[in-house]
Amino acid sequence: MSALGVNKVGAGAGLDSSRGSGGSRQAAVKVLECGVCEDVFSLQGDKVPRLLLCGHTVCHDCLTRLPLHGRAVRCPFDRQVTELGDSGVWGLKKNFALLELLERLQNGPAGQCGTAEEAIGLSGESSIRCDEDEAHVASVYCTVCATHLCADCSQLTHSTKTLAKHRRVPLADKPHEKTMCSQHQVHAIEFVCLEEGCQASPLMCCVCKEYGKHQGHKHSVLEPEANQIRASILDMAHCIRTFTEEISDYSRKLVGIVQHIEGGEQIVEDGVGMAHTEHVPGTAENARSCVRAYFSDLHETLCRQEEMALSVVDAHVREKLIWLRQQQEDMTILLSQVSTACLHCEKTLQQDDCRVVLARQEITRLLETLQKQQQQFTELADHVQLDASIPVTFTKDNRVHIGPKMEIRVVTLGLDGAGKTTILFKLKQDEFMQPIPTIGFNVETVEYKNLKFTIWDVGGKHKLRPLWKHYYLNTQAVVFVVDSSHRDRVSEAHSELAKLLTEKELRDALLLIFANKQDVAGALSVEEITELLSLHKLCCGRSWYIQGCDARSGTGLYEGLDWLSRQLVAAGVLDVA
Amino acid sequence: MFVQVCLYFYCKCLWRCLKFVVRKLTGQCELQRICYNTKPGAARTMKIGNCRILSSRLQTSVSVHPDAIEKTIDDIMELKRINPDINPQLGVSLQACLLQIVGYRNLIAEVEKLRREPYDSENPQHEEMLLKLWKCLKPNSPLKARISKQWCEIGFQGDDPKTDFRGMGLLGLYNLVNAWQYLDDFFFSPLSQFSKAEWEKKKFDKAIGYSFAIVGINITDLAYNLLVSGALKTHFYNVAPEAPTLTHFQQTFCYLMHEFHKFWIEEDPLDIMEFNRVREKFHKRILKQLQNPEMALCPHFAASESLINM
Repeated sequence: MSALGVNKVGAGAGLDSSRGSGGSRQAAVKVLECGVCEDVFSLQGDKVPRLLLCGHTVCHDCLTRLPLHGRAVRCPFDRQVTELGDSGVWGLKKNFALLELLERLQNGPAGQCGTAEEAIGLSGESSIRCDEDEAHVASVYCTVCATHLCADCSQLTHSTKTLAKHRRVPLADKPHEKTMCSQHQVHAIEFVCLEEGCQASPLMCCVCKEYGKHQGHKHSVLEPEANQIRASILDMAHCIRTFTEEISDYSRKLVGIVQHIEGGEQIVEDGVGMAHTEHVPGTAENARSCVRAYFSDLHETLCRQEEMALSVVDAHVREKLIWLRQQQEDMTILLSQVSTACLHCEKTLQQDDCRVVLARQEITRLLETLQKQQQQFTELADHVQLDASIPVTFTKDNRVHIGPKMEIRVVTLGLDGAGKTTILFKLKQDEFMQPIPTIGFNVETVEYKNLKFTIWDVGGKHKLRPLWKHYYLNTQAVVFVVDSSHRDRVSEAHSELAKLLTEKELRDALLLIFANKQDVAGALSVEEITELLSLHKLCCGRSWYIQGCDARSGTGLYEGLDWLSRQLVAAGVLDVA
Repeated sequence: MFVQVCLYFYCKCLWRCLKFVVRKLTGQCELQRICYNTKPGAARTMKIGNCRILSSRLQTSVSVHPDAIEKTIDDIMELKRINPDINPQLGVSLQACLLQIVGYRNLIAEVEKLRREPYDSENPQHEEMLLKLWKCLKPNSPLKARISKQWCEIGFQGDDPKTDFRGMGLLGLYNLVNAWQYLDDFFFSPLSQFSKAEWEKKKFDKAIGYSFAIVGINITDLAYNLLVSGALKTHFYNVAPEAPTLTHFQQTFCYLMHEFHKFWIEEDPLDIMEFNRVREKFHKRILKQLQNPEMALCPHFAASESLINM
C-alpha cells in the first residue's frame, strides 16, 4: 500500500511541478523513488521502474533481487504473484507513464526554454524581428548595413541614392557573420593554418598570417576549407544515416528474435475473415517441450525396462523355486522309501530263519532298488550345485541377465583374406589355424571375463557378402576385420563397411574394427586405417573402436573384447565377476 | 590314481610275459605271427607299425634313409634270431610294410613342405601353373588379365587367386591343377560347357560348381588334416604297394573332391552357408570309413594283392 501511496504522491507532485516553476523540480524528482530501496527512479539502467501484475512499480534492481518462486516473483507490497517470461525481470514492462513523467520532470524548466528556441529554429526567418520596427517581421537582410529588415522598412530606409545600392538579400541567403580574430579585433578571420603544431587554434587573420604567430606557416583560405569540412560532414551524415538504419534494423531483428523466443499472442485472421488471437509457441517453449518429451520418453522406457527386468527375475525365481520344491518333494519321497525299506529289513531281521530265507529275494530286490536310488542321488548331487545366490548383471541397454556369464552375439565380417576365421580360432583355442578360405560360416563361443561371446564368422567371398545380412539379426556387435597389410583393398573394405553401416538391423550394434596383420612389415598403422576408412565420418553417432591386432600372436584381440565388454555391460557391473 | 598306475605296470609286465610264453609255444616272434596271420595291406602294416621294436628303430634311422630299410630288417632278423633262409617271405613282407610306414612319414614331410611354400607371384613357375589351371577349367574363354574378376568364375574369392592360397600354399594349387585330370567329366561339365543361364538352372551345383577353387582348397585342408592325423594310413597302406607318394595324395584328394560333391548333392543343403556343417559331416564319415582296416578310399587305384605278397 505504501508503494502505491508513494507512487501516487509522486505522480501528483510531478504533475504539480510540471506546471509550476523550475524551483520545485528537485523536490518532485525526489518523490519519484522506488518503494523498496528508496532510490530515485531513472529513465534507464538499474533503477528503471517496472510494472508488476498487481499494478505496483518497483525498480529493476530490486526486482532482480527478489527471490524467485519457480518462474515467478511476489510483489513486495501485496505478495501477489507475477509470472516471469524467459527473459526474466527484463521481460516485465516498464512503467512508461512514470517514465514519461520523469522525463518531463527532469526537463521541466529547460524544456520551456528549449521550446522557444526550437520555435525560432523551426519558424526560421519569419520570426526574426525587423530592426527598424519591433512589430514587423524581417524578410531581407542588408549585407552592407548588416540589418534585418522587413520589405517596407527596407524600402523606407534605403530610399536614398547611395543606400539604394546596398545589396539586400532574402533572409535565407543571409551570409554568415564574419568572425573577428581574437588577437586583432579589427581583422576578420580569413585563413586556416595547415601546420601540424597549430591544429589547436588554426584560425588566423591576415595580420596573424603575415606578422603574427602563424608567420610563414602553410595556410589556405577559410571558406573553401570550411566548405570542404561541410562536405565531409554531409558525407558523414550519409554514413551515419545508413549506420543508424543498420542499428535500428538490428534492434528490430533483436525484438523479432526475442518475440520468437518468447512466443506469445498473435492476431490471426481465419478463413472467414474473423480476427482472433492465437497463442504462438516461442522457440523457448518448443525447446522446453522437447526436453520434457525426451525425458518423459526416457522415464517411460526406463519404467518399461524395469518392469521387463523384474519380470525376468521373477520368472527366474519362480522357476528355480518350483524346481527346488520339486526336489524337496522328491527327497521326502526318497526318504520315506528308504525308511520303509529299513523298516522292512528290520522286521525281517527279527523273524525266524525260515522266513528270513524266504524273504531273501525280496530283500535283494529291495537292496538293489536302494542302491539304484543312491546312485541316482549321488549323480544328482554331483551335477546340481545348490546355490542360493542369484547373480544379476545389466547390459548397457538395461536388460537384466541372470547367471554368471552374460551372452553376447557378435558377427565377424570383412573382406576375404582379412583374417576373420584366424581371429576366431585364435580366441577360441589360442592356436594359429592354417587359414583357408571360409565357405559359409563358423560359429564358436568364446568366454572372456564374465561374458560369453557367441561369435559368428561369415565368409568374406564376394558371393557370400549379400548373405551377411542373415547373420545381423539380434547382433549386439559387429567386428569388422581389415587387412592392414593390403593397401589396395582398403577402399574395397571401406565400401563394404559403408554398406554395412546403412543396414537397419545394425543401427544399434557396436562396431569394433580390427586392423589385423599389424605384424606384417609395412602394414598400415591404426591411424592410417582410421583415416583411409574415414571412420570418424562413417561411424558418426555410433559407438565404435578401432584396435590394431595380429591374429598370429593374438596381440590386441583381448583389448578389443575388453572394449566390447565395457560397451555392453552397464558401468560397474563388470567388476562383479 | 594309484590303482591306475599299478594297472599300467601290471599290463606292461603281463604283456611281456604273455609275449614270452606265446613265443615259446609257437616258436615264432611277434613280427612273424603278424606277417603270417594277417592279410597284407593296412591291417598288417599298422600292426607292424605298432610293434615296439620297430617303432624305436624307425625313429632313429629309417625315417631319414628309406634305403636303410634292408639293413634294419637284417638287424631285426638277427636280433630275433630268425633264419632268413627258413622264412624268406618274412623279409619281403616286412620290407613292404616298412616301406609303407616310412613312405607315409616322408609323404607327410613332403606335403608339409609344399603347404608351407607360399604362392609367390614373382615366381614364373607358380604363375604358369595358375594360368594352366585356368586353361584347363575354361579352355574356351581366355583370361583377360592376371588380376581380374574372371577368377571368381572358377570359384576364387577375389580378383587375385594368390590370397586364397594363403593357408594351403602350393599344395592347394598342385591339387587343383591335378584334380581335373582324374575327375569325371560330370564334375566339370558345368564349368566348361554350360552357358551362364543353364548354369543358374543347375541349382544343386550352385555351391560346388561356382566355388570349385575354394572348395578345392577346403578339401585340400581336409585331406591334409586326415594325412597328418594318421587317418589316411589305412587308405595308403591298402592302396600303395610300396611307399605312398604325392601322386597317391593327389589321387586321394580327387577322390575326396568327387565324394564330397556327391555327398553335397545327397545332403541337399539350403545354401552355401551350410558348407561347414556338410564338411564336418563328411569329415566324420570319411574318418569312420577309414577305421575299417580293409578300407581303401579309391578302390580303382588299389594295387593288386600279389604285389604285396611278393
